[in-house]
Amino acid sequence: MPSAIQSGYELPTYAFMKPRELDAAALTDQKKYPVIVVGAGLAGLTAACDLAIKGVEVLLIDDDDTVGVRGAASRGICYAQKSLEIFERLGTFSRIAEKGIQWSIGKTLAGDEVVYSFDLSQQNSHNASTQPPFINLQQFYIEWYLVDRLLQLPNVEIRWKSTIVDVSQNDDQVDIEINCPDGRYSLRTDWLIDATGIRSPIRDRFGLKTNPALGEDRWCISDVRFKHQPPIERWTWVEAPFNENRAVWQHLMGDDVWRLDYQMAPEADPEVISRPEVVADRLRAQFGPDVDFELVWVGPYGYRSHVLEQLKLGRVFFLGDSAHVMSPFGARGGNSAIQDADNLSWKLALVIAGALDSSVLDSYHTERHLAAEQNVSITNRTMRFLTPQTPMQKVFRRAVLDLARTFEFAQPLINTGRLSTPTEYVAQDGYGLHWGINIANCLMHEASGEVTNLVQLVHKEQGKLIFLCVDQASFEAVQKRWSGHSAFAIKLLDPQVLRVASDDVVSLHQWSDSTGYLRKRFSLEPGSVGVLRPDLHSAGTYNLVELDVYIATFWPQPLQNTSTRAH
Amino acid sequence: MPIEFQVTSQFEQPDLFYDALNNAHEGLDRDASEALNARLILTLANQIGSHSVLLQCIQAAQKTQKLSTKE
Repeated sequence: MPSAIQSGYELPTYAFMKPRELDAAALTDQKKYPVIVVGAGLAGLTAACDLAIKGVEVLLIDDDDTVGVRGAASRGICYAQKSLEIFERLGTFSRIAEKGIQWSIGKTLAGDEVVYSFDLSQQNSHNASTQPPFINLQQFYIEWYLVDRLLQLPNVEIRWKSTIVDVSQNDDQVDIEINCPDGRYSLRTDWLIDATGIRSPIRDRFGLKTNPALGEDRWCISDVRFKHQPPIERWTWVEAPFNENRAVWQHLMGDDVWRLDYQMAPEADPEVISRPEVVADRLRAQFGPDVDFELVWVGPYGYRSHVLEQLKLGRVFFLGDSAHVMSPFGARGGNSAIQDADNLSWKLALVIAGALDSSVLDSYHTERHLAAEQNVSITNRTMRFLTPQTPMQKVFRRAVLDLARTFEFAQPLINTGRLSTPTEYVAQDGYGLHWGINIANCLMHEASGEVTNLVQLVHKEQGKLIFLCVDQASFEAVQKRWSGHSAFAIKLLDPQVLRVASDDVVSLHQWSDSTGYLRKRFSLEPGSVGVLRPDLHSAGTYNLVELDVYIATFWPQPLQNTSTRAH
Repeated sequence: MPIEFQVTSQFEQPDLFYDALNNAHEGLDRDASEALNARLILTLANQIGSHSVLLQCIQAAQKTQKLSTKE
């Protein structure tokens, strides 16, 4: 594969191929795709990959021919545990873990002093997940690995250098117009996923307003390689004396590249602050006059935030930056884009397979809109701490910093960003004991004795909802009632049951919750059934009677004569 | 037992506390007093801990604002 040197990195480029729609011999009878994904960023690639591994035929369209965001400042560098668990399912986690950086020592500084420091390696003993709390890695590597994975899948087609120029929909389908180097053509699909980013042409074509709030702050990213590397720790200055007492971030990504992010004066001119000589002055102020470095990339940016009112419009879904934008604190932009895709993909795959009625897709909006609003609120709180707007906000921040040097209790009030966490989808009507809580990718044993994890076991069930029982009677009752239904899989937890269950059929459905985590998290006991969603959220714990009511309420079955696959 | 917002006085020594509070501000200019108050609020808030009680404390302070600004 030919490579392009860009921004100090060697990125892959992908060949444009003439689409069959522009072939002279193309059939007049137009193919209808089950789903088209537009935009090969974090959201689009995750959705495409997740749908494809669940057996859905996917067409992915991107206006570029490489990974990364050309010329844009939006470049994530931190991938939180939930995202890493999703990548474990998609098959890219091991490459991310190998290439990425896992720091454990963080320091928060003000002036010349360390206000406090922490060591994450001392705090993770109670973490049930097989993935680390986070990994630092340049966004384009995450995308690159996903493209590699997609290229291995037979039911995926990627069309590079193809731009969406028009879109319309009715009750039955979505029609889009594509412009590519060989000309213009149209495509038809049952469902359209808009992952085209902050300047979504699809969103704009439908006239959806974003009503953005613009932050006054200016920031400037400088990605740098040092000849003499600083210690591999994350340092965050709330007030950096070498940056006019404004905030500075310093942390390591892959390829020995450091991300330095400087808070600038509100009136700073983006063009001036990103000049190489100005960047070099900032680096010398921070690291000393003799610092030896190579500048990899510079990107000035300002904050904005918006949340679309509807993340689903008819047959069109909005994911990632197209749907919501927030300030970068806590890496919530990229990670929430990945979780958008995670939330939608299994529902859409089950609908496309005819296992669930399409009304279930409305919950994509309900759940991810809630997540987006929470993310915007959480990042706004960080912004208030880092950029106090009133004299009293400044007084309180000073008080927090002064107290935190001496007293541990004040340290949690220092808000330099709260790392993205999974959203708990709390049901509006309160139905269900544990509706929506996140389930970590815990260690599991298969009936064969093989050690694996929850993600892998769910993956083998091809994205079905999984009913978890801990006793033979409930297992058999649920199996009798629901087995053969293509949306549900039934599992029996724990090896102890094997002693009373003699037949092989039982062992086929059996997992061992070796750490007891699932039992505890679902509050499972004999007679109860836990419902695990394929995106590793709990959908509640019920007795057998409640389970029937719950399924009838939340998992609408398609009508027998409905076919969503009429191509 | 969860702590609750207390309408009745919990002070062991109301007069001595009031003295101590004012003595702490003795000789401070307005900025320094403001900073001391802020540190004190955060320190006391941590002793309370309970989020709902803290919110009720903030509401109680807001509700009584009119009275105090009349002086």
